[in-house]
Amino acid sequence: MTGSMAGPQSDSCSLLVSKQYSPGMTEDPDFDSFPMAVKGNAFQDFSRGQEMPHHWGRTLTEGDNAIFSTVTCNWNPMHLNAEFAKGHGHRDVVLNPMLVLCTVVGLSVEDLSEIGGPFLGMEDVVFHRPVYPRDTITAASTVVETRESDSRPNVGIVTWHTEAHNQNGELVVEYERTNLVAKHRGER
Amino acid sequence: MGALSALTGDGNYFEDFEVGQRMRHFRAATVDEVENNFITKLVMNTAQGHWNEEAMRGSPLGDGRLVFGLVTGSMTVGLASQDTAENALSEMGLDKVRFKKPVHHGDTITAYSEVLAADDSPEHDDAGIVRFKHWGRNQHGDVVCELERIVLVKRRSHWADR
Repeated sequence: MTGSMAGPQSDSCSLLVSKQYSPGMTEDPDFDSFPMAVKGNAFQDFSRGQEMPHHWGRTLTEGDNAIFSTVTCNWNPMHLNAEFAKGHGHRDVVLNPMLVLCTVVGLSVEDLSEIGGPFLGMEDVVFHRPVYPRDTITAASTVVETRESDSRPNVGIVTWHTEAHNQNGELVVEYERTNLVAKHRGER
Repeated sequence: MGALSALTGDGNYFEDFEVGQRMRHFRAATVDEVENNFITKLVMNTAQGHWNEEAMRGSPLGDGRLVFGLVTGSMTVGLASQDTAENALSEMGLDKVRFKKPVHHGDTITAYSEVLAADDSPEHDDAGIVRFKHWGRNQHGDVVCELERIVLVKRRSHWADR
């Protein structure tokens, strides 16, 4: 009995150690030599007046809104009770403007701030009109100002003006945003 | 009280806000996987420092995933929303938004508000414009974000019976 069990086990072991069949014997490539598919822009890539339409766009859904509003403790019935919103003249729930704002910033990150660093602040955020479920938002930014940091030679400070429009070309939100931006990739 | 007004509180109409009035909001919230990791991806923020634990190891901002500033800001607004916008007609805007300290998973945000201004709306008889200042503080008492927020708030005189 013991012998009959040992037979097939030794056979599979011998298969595993043979060169043809063992994944362990295949040499992995030198992963460090793979060129990085780099994303983002560094400080030198920005100049005043530069216009940057951002990628992707986003159709915002009732699900996005319900998740975002509940997770951020914003249980306002204007965002979560369609009948309440209709009672105020809206055709559906009004998407939480903070969701719209976060999404517009999100769409702009690769172009503006993915290299880092820190998000310093925003000015003059204006919510121009309500956004409803299934509206599609696209975003674009213009460089307002670039300047050196007095205290940190490796970073600069960039301010952008960003606008987002809905599928009808109507302005839904605009703002100015300022970040520290690394002068070279890999420096935060 | 009408069908609409029955759904919201009675202490936060435009008439109830006075300049200088301060509020510490009752509920605080801890930022974790759902709040930062998930929401940051939901809103398509591609900066991996918010959702790649390894990317921020050894960062001067602190080890581990850095919470997206607007998640902190949205939670500060959210925690303040019942007291400040339950009877709002609309959110008009934000201003002077500042992210002052890094926030990490596990940090707990408490929201504080002050009424900076309460003015008539030239375009709305039934509502007024309230400008709030909000602060978000972490569990150590540090202010992590602050912002001003402009809200169009219903007047009790026009809406309490609707």
